[in-house]
Amino acid sequence: MSEHISVYPGTPLKERDFAEGKVLCEWWVPRAEYAWDAGVAIGRFLRELRAGRLIARRCPQCRRVLVPPRMVCEHCFCPTSDWVYLPGTGAVKTFSICYVTWDMQPLEEPIIPAVIALDGASPGGGIMHLLGEVSPEAVRIGLRVEPVFRPAGERTGAITDIRYFRPIAEVNP
Amino acid sequence: MSLTERLQSLEHAIAWKGEIPLQSRYTLGLAGERFFREIRDHARLLATHCPACDWTYLPPRAYCERCLAELTEWVEIPPSGVVYSYTVLYRDLDEQPLDPPLVVAFVRLEGCDGGLIHYLLVEPEQAYIGMPVEVMFREERKGSIQDIAGFRPA
Repeated sequence: MSEHISVYPGTPLKERDFAEGKVLCEWWVPRAEYAWDAGVAIGRFLRELRAGRLIARRCPQCRRVLVPPRMVCEHCFCPTSDWVYLPGTGAVKTFSICYVTWDMQPLEEPIIPAVIALDGASPGGGIMHLLGEVSPEAVRIGLRVEPVFRPAGERTGAITDIRYFRPIAEVNP
Repeated sequence: MSLTERLQSLEHAIAWKGEIPLQSRYTLGLAGERFFREIRDHARLLATHCPACDWTYLPPRAYCERCLAELTEWVEIPPSGVVYSYTVLYRDLDEQPLDPPLVVAFVRLEGCDGGLIHYLLVEPEQAYIGMPVEVMFREERKGSIQDIAGFRPA
């Protein structure tokens, strides 16, 4: 409430008023179904995920390796030319520790979505995914990670064919 | 230069399907609440009247759209009117065929300056502009526009 207004005009309603039938209302659940066309580049990207691989596109002009792959380079406005397989490993570019789901349900164990800069991709290239097998305390920017794929039979050609990215075990040189 | 790579097979055409969970609850407002309660409890139509503009609103408004005055004068409107315009629907919202087709009309009600859009309960060939009709209330009502089954010939 502001300093000058103690009571705002209007008809405040509480959830209880609906439950007890004190107020009439229309309840509507629209069917919001959609189909998003993956296109040539993302279509191939998803098919390669199903095969357990990550793939990118190269621009013939600026030589950048683009992931997620796209058929046109947004810098040069020219068609990209080659498919490039990536090793799948990468580094955490940024991350978040989430204690709520996207529809605001509380989570006991937080999930850790992260942007992962993939090895072999040009700077700025990478994908967003979840981190796993790592505690919230241990996550840091620059953490080296690798993808954990679902078993081949369970993959459907979706980004969730990768279950999550996990830290690469440190190997002493 | 043109794009050289195209989809080579139908199975390579991937569409990502999903559904956005949406729910909506529409409250009727002060005037709408009274309008639909009256329909539910007494099967009567109420309108609001602006004495300054001599205008009668149906569906009722809490404020006059012409002079912005608060409207406190409620009047009962007889459940009869005249078809102002109509359309015949052969498909539902999901584009599924409707058999028999539905007739939806805008009916201007007597004794007011407004009207209602609702089903016209006649065969499509029988509908015409200027047709005298009356409101058909349902036996079971719960405070919704569905408490009215539609308009039938008077």
